[in-house]
Amino acid sequence: MSLVIDNLGFSYGRLSALRGVSVRAEPGQLIAVLGPNAAGKSTLLRCMIGALKPTAGQVLLDGRTVHRLSPRTLAMRIAYVPQRSIVSAAFTVRQVVELGRYALPADHRRVSESIANLDLSDVEHRAYRTLSVGQQQRVTLARAFAQLAPDGVMVLDEPTSAMDLQHASRALELLAQAARAGTTVIMAMHDLSVAAMAASHAWLLHRGELAAEGATCEVLEAQRLQRVFGVGFTWIKDGAGRPRLLADPPALAAGAYNATP
Amino acid sequence: MSLRTRQIVGLACLLLLAAAMCLLRVLITRVDGGISLAWPEAGIAGFRLTALSVGAIVGCSLAVSGVLLQALLRNPLAEPFILGISSGAGLGVMAAMYLAYRLHGPGAGGEERLAPAIIGALITLAAVYALGQRRGWLDPVSLVLVGVIVSAICGAGIMFFQHLVDTGLRGQFTTWLMGYIPEAVDVWVLRLCAIIALIGLVVGGVMGRAMDAATLGDDEARSVGLSIGPLRVAMFGLAGVLAASTVALAGPIGFVGLIAPHLARLVLGPKHAALVVGAALCGIAITVGADVARQAVDVGAGRMPIGIFTAIIGGPAFIWLLLSGRGQS
Repeated sequence: MSLVIDNLGFSYGRLSALRGVSVRAEPGQLIAVLGPNAAGKSTLLRCMIGALKPTAGQVLLDGRTVHRLSPRTLAMRIAYVPQRSIVSAAFTVRQVVELGRYALPADHRRVSESIANLDLSDVEHRAYRTLSVGQQQRVTLARAFAQLAPDGVMVLDEPTSAMDLQHASRALELLAQAARAGTTVIMAMHDLSVAAMAASHAWLLHRGELAAEGATCEVLEAQRLQRVFGVGFTWIKDGAGRPRLLADPPALAAGAYNATP
Repeated sequence: MSLRTRQIVGLACLLLLAAAMCLLRVLITRVDGGISLAWPEAGIAGFRLTALSVGAIVGCSLAVSGVLLQALLRNPLAEPFILGISSGAGLGVMAAMYLAYRLHGPGAGGEERLAPAIIGALITLAAVYALGQRRGWLDPVSLVLVGVIVSAICGAGIMFFQHLVDTGLRGQFTTWLMGYIPEAVDVWVLRLCAIIALIGLVVGGVMGRAMDAATLGDDEARSVGLSIGPLRVAMFGLAGVLAASTVALAGPIGFVGLIAPHLARLVLGPKHAALVVGAALCGIAITVGADVARQAVDVGAGRMPIGIFTAIIGGPAFIWLLLSGRGQS
């Protein structure tokens, strides 16, 4: 499913959060939405899922305006993962994942698969609210996988920010698999090094505008990143010869933390 | 034990509990120095069955109203009494009673209570909902605080109307305001309130899955396919009408809408389809049980208001929920 963002603008009252953003996402792409704090990443994602009605422009899903689609229709096409999901009832992990099938026919096998894929089988019957934030993020991701149509769109807002390295890596691997199977994956994230490794494409936002978009390695150009983030970046090659992006924050470079291995 | 088995067994136990309380309400009789259990004479049985019907309808409606409000506001402390809806309905009824008194003299009781109660409840609900938001989000703590303040304002309005009537009528108003299960009610009012309770129960049960999804944040609820806005308006309206019908029948009775859903949750778990039915049974057991206790306890002059009993149980339960963290959304 292709998602077209056409001259999108959004304001919170007088505060303009997005201006003139035009970009498109195609099936099979894993897109990292990048930018400093308050660049407009979450606002862009919320416009994409129809939660916010744009004040200018539009978001089109296969040619249809997203915010005019009913929630049921949207749920069959777009799965959403917020940065942190708060569930007010004392549901178990499995019950939370089953909510992903609310608008769709029940599919117990799919729910079980999603739980197993996110390494949650051992806490399947535990109350969601008793889990750590990282585990809760995995549950929310499992819910989105239980909901997702193979040719659908997955919109994620920093889905791995609280996960440990092993589970974050597993989650990114699952997202890459979904993209290879035809899903359009659009994911806001802060870790540029991870984005450089995981994403096929990147959208770079700066002060509510699109600063760059395209293949990840082209968007993450060191001078551009310096200009947008105010921090130096360096591309290096690791032991296996693969390119790696390293940040060089001034405070760290000045030896504020003088850690030695 | 699977969830389904737990729900079936739990519902059967709650049904037995509610049935036992209903039977007690019919059988219990206060005699000199104690109580006795015996089937009443034909003349008295009619009054008791009316009181039983009122208690069951009030308990069921308050409990279902509590479940709807707790689910849709994502606030386990929400209930009609705490959110000021009962006070709003009470103010509506008091205004109508005062108007009847002014127009037709001291003998008029303002029997047409249902419509003013519903109007008062819905206006209060809209005000609490609008004022309880912060930057477009419903804040659980703000909501309870706004409910308390709105309830206090409605309370002031009620006292104002009390002040305006004769002393004799003032006593009648006060008794009604403390929650009072009558033994004689207009049949059409009773039928109408029973129909409202039944609609609440059926709609609540049918919308159980939607309420499950509504426990997610607004964006997420929408993203899994729930039209959260229309659902919230419809369920709030229903919760307001349910609460208003109880006020019209028996005056403002506190805490049943809070305790009944939590008791049902302990037995049945958090899924709303079963929870609505379980909470209704708990609500019937608590309200009719409180009326049984009122029958059994012989203190002071006349019949004790039922609101005293529900507040004695509900007040500490509210504090326990607040302190134990179960009141966090």
